[in-house]
Amino acid sequence: MTHLLVVGQGLAGLFAANLALRKGLRVTLISQGRGGLSLSPGCLDLGRTAASLPSQHPYRSAGLQNLPAAVDAFRELLLLEGIEFLGNPDVSMTLPTAAGRLRHTHLVPRSMALGHFDAEARMVIAGFDGFRDFDAGLVGDGIRRAGWPAQSISLPLPGEARRDLYSTDLARRFERAWTPEQLSSLWGPRLGKTALLGLPAVLGLDHAPETHLALERSLGVGIFEIPTLPPSVPGLRLERALRRRSLQGGGRLIEGPTVVGRVDGRSGGGRVLGVVAATSAGPRAFQADAVILATGGFLNGGLRADRAGRVADSVFDLPVEAASDRGEWLGDGCLGYHPYDLFGLRVNEHMQPIDRQGRVFFDNLFACGGVLGGADRRGEKSRQGIDLLTAYAAVHSVAP
Amino acid sequence: MTVTGWNSELCLKCNICTAACPVAAVTDQFLGPKAAGPQAERFRHPRATVPDPSVSWCSGCGVCSRVCPHGVPVAELNILAKARLASQHPHPFRDQLLARPSLLAAVARPLAPLANALLGLSAARALAEAALGVSRHAPMPRFASATFRSSVPQLHARTPQPRSGRPLVAYFHGCSVDSYEPWLGRLTLQVLEAIGFDVVLPPQGCCGLPLQSNGLLEGARNYARTNLDGLGPFAAANVPIIGTSTSCTLALKHEYRAILGLAGETADQVAEGTYDLFEFLLEGDPSPLTRAALQSLPLRVLYHPPCQLQGHGIGWPALEALRRIPDLDLVLSESDCCGVAGTYGLKRERYDVARGVGEGLFDQVQSSGVDAVVTDSETCRWWVAGHAGVRAIHPVEILATAMGLPGASALAPSSIRGHEGPRP
Repeated sequence: MTHLLVVGQGLAGLFAANLALRKGLRVTLISQGRGGLSLSPGCLDLGRTAASLPSQHPYRSAGLQNLPAAVDAFRELLLLEGIEFLGNPDVSMTLPTAAGRLRHTHLVPRSMALGHFDAEARMVIAGFDGFRDFDAGLVGDGIRRAGWPAQSISLPLPGEARRDLYSTDLARRFERAWTPEQLSSLWGPRLGKTALLGLPAVLGLDHAPETHLALERSLGVGIFEIPTLPPSVPGLRLERALRRRSLQGGGRLIEGPTVVGRVDGRSGGGRVLGVVAATSAGPRAFQADAVILATGGFLNGGLRADRAGRVADSVFDLPVEAASDRGEWLGDGCLGYHPYDLFGLRVNEHMQPIDRQGRVFFDNLFACGGVLGGADRRGEKSRQGIDLLTAYAAVHSVAP
Repeated sequence: MTVTGWNSELCLKCNICTAACPVAAVTDQFLGPKAAGPQAERFRHPRATVPDPSVSWCSGCGVCSRVCPHGVPVAELNILAKARLASQHPHPFRDQLLARPSLLAAVARPLAPLANALLGLSAARALAEAALGVSRHAPMPRFASATFRSSVPQLHARTPQPRSGRPLVAYFHGCSVDSYEPWLGRLTLQVLEAIGFDVVLPPQGCCGLPLQSNGLLEGARNYARTNLDGLGPFAAANVPIIGTSTSCTLALKHEYRAILGLAGETADQVAEGTYDLFEFLLEGDPSPLTRAALQSLPLRVLYHPPCQLQGHGIGWPALEALRRIPDLDLVLSESDCCGVAGTYGLKRERYDVARGVGEGLFDQVQSSGVDAVVTDSETCRWWVAGHAGVRAIHPVEILATAMGLPGASALAPSSIRGHEGPRP
C-alpha cells in the first residue's frame, strides 16, 4: 500500500489527506502546528478568470475543468461531518463582514447563507455586550453604505465573565451552557418584529447546526452568522471536522515538529524517501513512498526569503523565482497587490514542482495550496479554490 | 530548542493556541496561552515580579506549543513564568510532596496496605484535603508492596555490556512502574524480549518532571543530573533508552534541555537516544513490531493520547500499533487533554477546572460503551478511570495480550487494580 506523507495541516493538507484516505492510501499528516483555517471565515472563494489565467497559475496546472469535481468532493466530505455548504461555484454571494465591508464569495456554510443580500433583506445586526471581536455598529454601517437597510443592536449574554471572552469561549457556551429558552427570554423583548438576525459566528463548535437551529426555533427568527476576528469559529469547525475525519479514517497525525528537510534519496535516484522533522528528541526521519507539500506561503512558513533575496520552499529548499532586488517585491499600499503575492513553487500538470526549464525535482514529490506561486489569491478571490483543486489534483497524481 | 524571551517575538497573535487551550476553554480565570505567554512575556523583567498571576492556572499540558504554526514555545514560556511566580512565595508542603513521587512511595511502601486503605477512606481523604490541599475527589493510585526494580535485580546494569548476541536496550521505567504499576514493567520486558532484545535497567531515579511542574526547578535539575549520569554511558554507546511513561520520556527528550537549561553532549545524546516504547517498536523498515505475531483481540477500547506524549512531536505511535491488532475495535478520543496534567488536577484549588477539562472525554468514554480506556500516561489512566468509571490500561497491556505473552490479559482484573477512585 502506498504510504503518502502530507506536510501541512491547512485546508489543502487536510483535504489532501482525507482524499488519499478515501482512495485507500496509508496517510501520515505531519505539521508544525495547526494551519490557518481558524483565521479564515470558513467560506470557499473560488474566484475564476478562466479567459485570462496566466500560464503559471495553479488553476491552469491543475486543470480548471476539475474544479467542480474537487468542490463536490469537499462538500461531500464535510456533509459527512454535518457541515453543509450552499451556493453555486459559478455565482458569487455577497455577505457582510466583521470589518464593515461586504465580501464576495461562492460557497458558504448553511449558517451564513441567510446573510446573502437580496432585495427583501431587512437585517438586524446584533453584537454581544462586552464582546470585542465583533462590532455590530461597524457591520451595520458597511451594509447601509452599500445601500441596504440594517439596524445595529447589542444583546446581553447570560452570566458574568472575569476576562474578555474569545469567540471560542462563546461558541462553547452557546453549545453547552446556555439554553435557547434562556436566550429567547433574554433577547425576545429586544428583537421585536425582527425577521432576519445577523449574529457573530459563535453559535456552537462541534454541534453548530443543532445549536443554530434550536436558537432560531426558540426566537422565531431567521439567523445568519457573520465570521468574527480570529479565532474564527466557522474556520475552526472545518479544521476540526477535517482533522477528526482523517483520524477516524485511519490517518496518522504528527502535530508539532518542524519539518526541516528531506530524507536523502541518493539510493533512489530522483525520489525522496520521506522527511526529517525536529521532534522533541531531535531530528527523526519519517519515511514515505510519496510526499505532498501543503505548507502554505510566507505567512504559514511554507516559503522563506533571506536577506540576499533568495526565496525557497522551507522543507526541500526548492528555489522559487524572485526579483533579486527585494525592493521590487513590494507594491504600493499595504492592502493592495504586491509582486511577492505571486511567489511560490511552479508545478507541472501532475502537481510536481519543476525548475525554470520545466524539469521535475523529484518524481514522488507533489505540492498544493499556498506554497504554489502564480496566483494573486486576494485579488482573484481564489484562495480556497486553489487549495481544493490543487490538493485534488495532487492526490490524483499519487493515486490515479 | 532553547527558550528565551526572544522566542515570544515569533508570535503573530493569531490566537490558534487560544482556540486550542483546554484550560481557557473551561475557566475565565486563565487569560489563555497567548495572553499569558508571549504577550505577557514583554512585561516580565528578569529582576521584577511576574505581573500576571493568571498564568498559575496554566496546567502545563503543552497543547499551545504543539499547535503554534510559528514555533513559539508558548507552554515553555508559561512553565518558566509559573516557576518564577511560585518562587515569589514559599512552596506549599503539598506541592513539595506531590512533586516527589519516588520519595512518597519509599515512605509509604512499607506501610502499603495501611496507606492504600487510608486512600480509600473518605474521612482520611477529607483530612488530607483540609490539611494539605490535595483534592479529596482526585483518584489516587495504590502503592505496590515491592518495587519493580527490586523484582528484577539480574537486569540492573551500570554499563552497556552486551549480554548475548541480541541487541541491547535500556529501560527507563519511571516512578509509576516502580512504585505503583510494576506489572507494566514486567510486560514491557516480556514484549521486548519476545521481539528479540536484551533489556537492562540502567541506574535511574525520578525523572524530575513533577518537581518542575510544581516550580521546583533546582530540585528537578538535581534529579535530572543523576539520570543523565546513569543513562549517559548507554546513550553514548547508542543503546536505545526506552520508556513506557510518556512524561518521563518527554523530560529526558525535551524538558531537561528546554526548561531546566541543561546543556552538553550527554544531555543531547540522552535526548536523542530516548524513545517511547511504541515509537521504538515502529521505528525503521521493517520495524521491530513486525516480528510480533499479533492474535485476534475482540475488545472495544478508547484510545486517548496523553498531552505529554503529544509533546514528543512523534504522533501517537501506540495507536499505530493497536491498529494492527486484528479485531480490536478502536474508538479515538476527541479531547486534547484529560485535565489532570500530572499533579495539577490533584490540587484542591485546581480540581474543578481539571475535571471540567476532562468532562468531554469522560462523557465520550461512558457513551461509547468501551471495555477499557487505553492511554500511555499513568496520571491520565488514574484520572480517567476514577472519573469515567471504566478500567484504564497502558497500550503495552493490549499489545502483550495480543502477542499471547504469559501473564498478559488486557481484561484481567490484576491489570487495572486500584484505579477506580470515587466518582464525585
